[in-house]
Amino acid sequence: MRLEEKRLGLDRPFVVRSFLFLRNALTLRLGFAERMVSDAGSRQVRLIILERLPTTLLLFGTADLLLFFLSVFVALVLSRQYGSFWDRVFVALSPTSAAPGWFYGIFLILIFASWLRILPFGDLVDVPPPESRVLYALSVLKHMILPTMAIILSAIFISVYSWRTFFLIYSSEDYVELARAKGLSGRTIERRYILRPTLPTIITSFALMVISLWTGAPIFETVFNWPGLGRTLFQAIGLFDIPVIVGSTVIFAYLLAITVFLLDILYALVDPRVRIGGGHKQ
Amino acid sequence: MMKNEHVLHVEDLYLYFVTKKGIVQAVDGVSFSLPRNSATVILGESGCGKSSLARAILRLLPRNVHTYTGKIALDGQNVMALDEDTFRDQIRWVRISMVPQAAMNALNPVLRVGDQVAEPAMVHLGVTKEEGWEMARRMFRYVGVPEGFLNRYPFELSGGMRQRVAIAMALVTSPSLIILDEPTSALDVLTQANIMNTLKRIKQETGTSYILITHDIATSSDLAEYVAVMYAGQIVEMNNAANFFSQPLHPYSQKLMASVPRLHGKQTLEFIPGRPPSLLSPPSGCRFASRCPLRFDKCDQDPPTFHLNGSIVKCWLYEHEGTLTTPASETIQPEE
Repeated sequence: MRLEEKRLGLDRPFVVRSFLFLRNALTLRLGFAERMVSDAGSRQVRLIILERLPTTLLLFGTADLLLFFLSVFVALVLSRQYGSFWDRVFVALSPTSAAPGWFYGIFLILIFASWLRILPFGDLVDVPPPESRVLYALSVLKHMILPTMAIILSAIFISVYSWRTFFLIYSSEDYVELARAKGLSGRTIERRYILRPTLPTIITSFALMVISLWTGAPIFETVFNWPGLGRTLFQAIGLFDIPVIVGSTVIFAYLLAITVFLLDILYALVDPRVRIGGGHKQ
Repeated sequence: MMKNEHVLHVEDLYLYFVTKKGIVQAVDGVSFSLPRNSATVILGESGCGKSSLARAILRLLPRNVHTYTGKIALDGQNVMALDEDTFRDQIRWVRISMVPQAAMNALNPVLRVGDQVAEPAMVHLGVTKEEGWEMARRMFRYVGVPEGFLNRYPFELSGGMRQRVAIAMALVTSPSLIILDEPTSALDVLTQANIMNTLKRIKQETGTSYILITHDIATSSDLAEYVAVMYAGQIVEMNNAANFFSQPLHPYSQKLMASVPRLHGKQTLEFIPGRPPSLLSPPSGCRFASRCPLRFDKCDQDPPTFHLNGSIVKCWLYEHEGTLTTPASETIQPEE
């Protein structure tokens, strides 16, 4: 009993213990689960999480990238035809982005899985999983369609709306006017004089959006029965498995930090003004 | 024959915009000709349509255009007849380039200035990136920007440097006409003088023509060979600089000149009472009539353009001295 108390650090004062826990969490020494077991049979929280992390990254990474490029493209097209029918449609639909992804997920499942029966309800792969790698990948892809659609659907209207507004603001800059006077083609102007200067702003707004999408992961993955980190957290809460809950939360915090960090690096790449050492003369 | 002495010939140019309050008559029936290798200053108060005139010449129109008609001939070629793509490809920056108002904001903040200066050459002259940069380097030397600045971004340059970069950009394709839209209004006097001297040297060496749009009479007098005065969307006087600065014809020009401070002499500076008429609903007669000290009965009718010793003036005072010839057959002779 004494030994166990010492091992868990319960013989130290509360404040010291808190810092010890914090250190352990930050260094990813996440301890052992109370009830949950990883698919490989381990009780280590770290292994449980590592097993689930790739699927989450796969789903959210794909959806976020698609969302980004699709939104940029649509926003550019709409900024060109400001005030047109489709422009107004997107502006009118932007409040729908207030609802989270799983909300649309439920409807997509109803329509495509339950009613039309062309796409699976959820899960990562077919049961039983296909033998060959190609078929396995295709099956995963098929299962990703609905969740990806749900994520995109939940965020595209607001992002297109705000980005098309950014494009409109930036396209009234003097250098865009001058680019037109220079006799550059419409495509060049759009790419080099509207998209490029707007990218930093867009990346900032995208970073915020990605973070808000991460926070929706637990319920989202539960709705789609997607064996990712979010569903693990949800299950852990159901089982009251505190080490797993803490571990997942820590990993989510790390994911957020990494996302922001990567986007910051990207920011420096697209905007020379924020490069360190580049701003020696203002 | 006659036309080809002019680099630019504008006839009855109209540019109206639609706004919520009504139709703005920004450029209202403007006609003038520019001789080759000359510098013409367009003077006028803020909001009199100077910049709109520049945009109309380059066909840089915003979305809310109501009317855009008239004749613009460049080296004798009617460019109004060209379609948008041809105009973009063959006129913009190839034959007319422009130094914009507030060059502070005229450069793309995320591209190197070298790329931006080389870009028109690469697009229009079909040169490679290396050749384009070489041309940009030459232009930088020409306007007095250190070559190392080619690799810099606009935010690393001072205001005067950016203005020079903008001029280098306008020169890189050696156009026959450069429109300078208040190129020095944001700069200190020393930099202004420096840039004006650079512009003069460029004009002598390259044989290009300038349209200099400004409200700064003092600075522009140095460069100007011809002066056009705009008032409420119309050109009210066009004269050669020597005549204009000594004896302006139009009452508005006279008042304008009287408002310029002089080093010698004790006269108090004058200003013109009242404000320019709204371009939404300009008065039917002479547009300056309500502020004009020399106004008489006839001013209720719109004055035609009178030709007087090679000058053009839109004022009833010159009804008897001047003649009513069509502008196309008339040339302004410089008096040396």
